Amino acid sequence: MEIHEKLDILSGAARYDASCASSGCGREGSAIRVGNTSQGGICHSWSDDGRCISLLKLLLSNDCRYDCAYCVNRSSNPVPRASFTAREVVDLTMDFYRRNYIEGLFLSSAVMQGPDQTMEEMVRVVEMLRIEEKFGGYIHLKVIPGSSPELVRRAGLAADRISVNIELPSSESLHRLAPQKRKESILEPMKLIGTEIGTSLVERTLSRKAPKFAPAGQSTQMIIGASPETDLQILRLSQGLYRRMNLKRVYYSAFVPVNEDNRLPVLASPPLLREHRLYQADWLLRFYGFSAEEILSDAAPDLDESFDPKTAWALRHPEFFPVEVNRADYATLLRVPGIGVASAKRIIAARRFSLITPEGMKKIGVVMKRAKYFITCSGRPFEKPDREPSRLRQRLLLGDGSEPVQPRQLVLFA
Amino acid sequence: MKRYLYDGTPEGLVSAIAGILDAEKDPQLATLVERQDTLFEEGLFLRTDPAAADSLFSRLRQCAPDAVHTLWYFMMSEAEELETSLLHYVALALEHGDRINGHLTHPDVKAIVSVARKAGRELHRMKGLLRFEQLRDGTYLARMEPDHNVIQPLAKHFSRRLRAQQWFIYDVRRHSAAHWDGSALQFGTLEQFSRPELSDEEREVQVMWKAFFRTIAIPERRNPRLQKSNMPAKYWKYLTEKQGE
Repeated sequence: MEIHEKLDILSGAARYDASCASSGCGREGSAIRVGNTSQGGICHSWSDDGRCISLLKLLLSNDCRYDCAYCVNRSSNPVPRASFTAREVVDLTMDFYRRNYIEGLFLSSAVMQGPDQTMEEMVRVVEMLRIEEKFGGYIHLKVIPGSSPELVRRAGLAADRISVNIELPSSESLHRLAPQKRKESILEPMKLIGTEIGTSLVERTLSRKAPKFAPAGQSTQMIIGASPETDLQILRLSQGLYRRMNLKRVYYSAFVPVNEDNRLPVLASPPLLREHRLYQADWLLRFYGFSAEEILSDAAPDLDESFDPKTAWALRHPEFFPVEVNRADYATLLRVPGIGVASAKRIIAARRFSLITPEGMKKIGVVMKRAKYFITCSGRPFEKPDREPSRLRQRLLLGDGSEPVQPRQLVLFA
Repeated sequence: MKRYLYDGTPEGLVSAIAGILDAEKDPQLATLVERQDTLFEEGLFLRTDPAAADSLFSRLRQCAPDAVHTLWYFMMSEAEELETSLLHYVALALEHGDRINGHLTHPDVKAIVSVARKAGRELHRMKGLLRFEQLRDGTYLARMEPDHNVIQPLAKHFSRRLRAQQWFIYDVRRHSAAHWDGSALQFGTLEQFSRPELSDEEREVQVMWKAFFRTIAIPERRNPRLQKSNMPAKYWKYLTEKQGE
């Protein structure tokens, strides 16, 4: 099979993986290496679906033994099958990197003969890049559930980021839709990776020569909307992964119906708005000091479609507002709709020089159309205090206080 | 309100600011504009003094290293008619140190910091969007037309990243070029420029990249508006993946 044909099949099959980050790791270029990595990550292009392209995203093979209901590559699907040789992936990566198309490689794979054989071949690609080609760019490697600890260790020593996909938000759903994958075979490598990252960090404080293990950390991905879990269950799971497994990122991937299967829900289109709200809530968990239980409750276990989760929280907690921007501390400012991490920091910095006026709030970059209902500036409110929640909801919706009804990034089939 | 003039060059600007800071008790009351060479132009012309510019830079580096950064990015923007704001900004930076970048409610600080931030954003963008093409002789060439004059820091970035190959970066708008020969970086200008022939290998790799670009998008999520807002059309001219679409 020609390389062009393989590329078509194996990048087409990799596109459902959401992760594309190239951040979290700064490695200087050196005289003998090709390439470096940038702490903040770099996007190189944006594809027709508007998602960023940072890494050459490929499957090593789509020839899968498993038959997961949601997956385009499941063994019972009559799709064309292909596998790259290690050399082909290495050459493509280097050719693309030299032209500045990419930050590096994202390599995943279908399970070929078995987890260990597949993982072994994937690790070989990465080791070839690092050792033979002296490639210093970014590498994200998927770990195949069920592969041996030794291979996971080799993967972590060669790649910048490694990840095991959790696939579905509960073990019942995993059992139903991906019967050949077991919860333990996913969680065990996750734990191992977490431990190894921790050990490597400690060793590196003792000796700078100690090897780095997955310096850009560990991430995972789950499919949203293929199984019946509520948003609360999903956020609790993410919260647990961040707190206990020390993950860098959890990716949410709106279920794209690519197969007909009576175990799957029938959807007119992928649940993109739900995916978007989950990412917003995920940000609240990681950067805004919220817990899953604050964002959602058993009584209302799903995210509001009309408001972002922070505005929804603010509407449920009128007692918290208004917040005085000239006195409130950082954590309190972060809870105001329309004030993000950057503007909260800027407010704190600007307060050292003078009191902040309403004009100043705009200069700082606060989204006033949302924030104005929740703040005072030196005691003066922006809007007539109106704390009746239902009326405030109405005004936020009508007064352009929330996002547009058809959020821009969610236009379907345009 | 005293009015000062300078010659319009970046060095002239910094040296004029140094001169005013020396002469004026309260620089916040002075203004600085580019000389227009009309007869009877009002204001005191300050001659460019490289030594004064240098010493201002080193003073600033000592007490406000972040402000030096801001100044660098501001210069990349080639912004016009903000000289007075810059003068006031530098005076404030010498007084308050790096904290000054937080004083965003001050109109001059806000003006300078936002211009600098915009330049920084474009520099970051170009690190991703620049495309190198392999020529017949094996060297690589990248062309660009950025809004800001980012070639120096951009070339520095690639001298660390793509150090094993020889390359040129050419700014088509400013006729400026950077050259990495595998060990050293050089800058210059090119008045005449025509793109040399591409290598055969280059054509093949470009076909593959375009194929990858096409297939990596999820058809059910097609969203050209989001694509355009992340990657404005003004950059498409030199993007390999956007040619022949």
